[in-house]
Amino acid sequence: MAASMRLLVKRVIRLSHRNFNATAAGVSGRSGCCWGTASCRCFSDDRSTHFGFETVPEAEKAKRVYKVFENVAQKYDIMNDAMSLGIHRLWKDSLLHVMNPQPGAQLLDVAGGTGDIAFRFLEYVRSQQERQRRRSARSMQTPSWKDISNNYSTEEEERPQESKAVVCDINKEMLKVGKQKGDSMGISAGLSWVVGDAEELPFDDDQFDIYTIAFGIRNVTHIDQALQEALRVLKPGGRFLCLEFSKVTNPVLARLYDAYSFQMIPVLGEVIAGDWKSYQYLVESIRKFPDQEAFKHMIEDAGFYCVQYYSFTGGVVAIHSGFKL
Amino acid sequence: MAALLRGLRAGRALRGLGSVVATPTATTPQCSSLRRGFHCAALRLQDESKSDKPPSSSSTTYHEHYQAHSTEQDTTAASQEDSASDPAAETASGPNTSYQDQSGEQGEEYETEEQLQARILTAALEFVPQHGWSMEAIAAGAETLGLSSASTGMFYNGAGDLVLHFITHCNSQLTEILAEQHKQVQLGQAEPKETADFLRDAIETRLRMYIPYIETWPQAMSILLLPHNIPDSLKHLSTLVDDIWYYAGDRSTDVSGSHHPRSPSSSTHTFLSPLHHHPHNIRPATLQMNWYTKRAALTGIYNTTELVMVQDSSPDFQDTWNFLDNRIQDVVNMATTAKQVQSTGEAVVQGLMGAAVTLKNLTGLNQRR
Repeated sequence: MAASMRLLVKRVIRLSHRNFNATAAGVSGRSGCCWGTASCRCFSDDRSTHFGFETVPEAEKAKRVYKVFENVAQKYDIMNDAMSLGIHRLWKDSLLHVMNPQPGAQLLDVAGGTGDIAFRFLEYVRSQQERQRRRSARSMQTPSWKDISNNYSTEEEERPQESKAVVCDINKEMLKVGKQKGDSMGISAGLSWVVGDAEELPFDDDQFDIYTIAFGIRNVTHIDQALQEALRVLKPGGRFLCLEFSKVTNPVLARLYDAYSFQMIPVLGEVIAGDWKSYQYLVESIRKFPDQEAFKHMIEDAGFYCVQYYSFTGGVVAIHSGFKL
Repeated sequence: MAALLRGLRAGRALRGLGSVVATPTATTPQCSSLRRGFHCAALRLQDESKSDKPPSSSSTTYHEHYQAHSTEQDTTAASQEDSASDPAAETASGPNTSYQDQSGEQGEEYETEEQLQARILTAALEFVPQHGWSMEAIAAGAETLGLSSASTGMFYNGAGDLVLHFITHCNSQLTEILAEQHKQVQLGQAEPKETADFLRDAIETRLRMYIPYIETWPQAMSILLLPHNIPDSLKHLSTLVDDIWYYAGDRSTDVSGSHHPRSPSSSTHTFLSPLHHHPHNIRPATLQMNWYTKRAALTGIYNTTELVMVQDSSPDFQDTWNFLDNRIQDVVNMATTAKQVQSTGEAVVQGLMGAAVTLKNLTGLNQRR
């Protein structure tokens, strides 16, 4: 509730600063897009952006993206498995390995939707904590008198911070599916689900240790704004991680990949999810996204340091990592 | 290049700065191309007036050195030197506080990523007894600097980075101490030591730096033996041994007869060469050994003594120092013995020749007919 109040205030301020339309209703604070009320069109700058291979006015893109994900939300996970032949799980596991979160880290997963990254994060941190506890128990098996007296005196030495994961998504349907998944898996402690726009996050500054966005940033209308927001909500020393489809460098593989993308995936979409056009948008948006080096420069421009990328599966996906120093 | 750096370092030590000098880190700078971009972004960051970063006196010295020295090399070396010493010193150094008000925040922004990494690793060292040489120690170190634990992702080599940083730190400390001793000898305030004693003292000083971490040192040694760390650890070891022999006054040439690159032909070393009195008459055998033999011998001594130290439980590691004494004595004896064997051999050969000639004379074979 407080978040929505803050959003309203922020929106009013931005309206006066930025000449954008402000939506009048809704908890999902989305700035910079017109919700279809004709009276607001007088402010729109007629700037256009890409929606797949189409060109659409910027104001429309967010709306159409919302529709796409609203339609596919129920079948999202099944489609992921079908399209990537299950490899997307390996990609997400690699993201966790690169992240290597320490116990006590706070994660913000933007465009987290169905919560894959957040679940993996919590599992990873918990197994690490288990391992640490087991290690300390093993070393304590022959405690010296000093250790025993220390144990009695330091009761509050326990790790104060429990790891928390916040899943933020602009789309309520995706969050609903994710919450259901979490409940069925029995993971609910340390997990929260927030509706929010990547370009305008409903969080304070310097909140999170790790910010991830997996397969979501290409759907954002203004990528640089999303990067700025990421910089804002990260603590000093925090890490930005982005898992996204990228350019395949090998020409043979690129041909195969293109053929597979444009021939197979929309068909799968139609058969499994009953939605050809959403998956057509998906493969087109992958082609429109900047390649590894260009995206790395964008991240550096936003103010991150030590930016690096790792390509997987020949460049099909890439993980970009940057630090707020 | 290495000689120039050592000369600069030695020069700075002579100026009596008295602070720890850190050699440029062994790890290749992952994002060195960003250094310029870092500064441009730093100016932008300045506008946002980040007051949450803890102001430290190290920032002033970065700024001061950055303005004073034009070469980037000097900057990184000087700033690293201060970055390494600052957390250790923990107090604002006197002469720099005058700059603090003007450039307190400005100075910090000019810090490069390498310097920040060095600071994090130095802060992490105090958590090593608790967490071992691991990412947890680095995370704890980062947290004391006010950074999130996620910044440990910068260290791609993980624990290896921490151990190598510590080794570099110790090596530079030792070089400082040895240079200081040399200065004392040069000024005539101290007597020059004999080679064996010098080596013994140098190795003891160096190994004593491990004493605070001796519980976890076996873990560090095993990390250094990992295949991807071996090139770096060997490099540090050879630099260490080289330094010790250099300050012991070794001016030997290598096998091929070409000049040793650290011979005092460059002007920065002239303060050492004419004034170091090496007692030629007392230890001729040591001079006979060439460059490789000396360094190999000292490497062997150092490694074995380190292993003994790790499992030593005597008070103040007395057993280790005794072991060290014996090993150095062995090497000295071996050198003397080698020379003796050589001269004995010559004598024996001459004796045999004489006996052969005498026999020939006796049997009349030498008679001219």
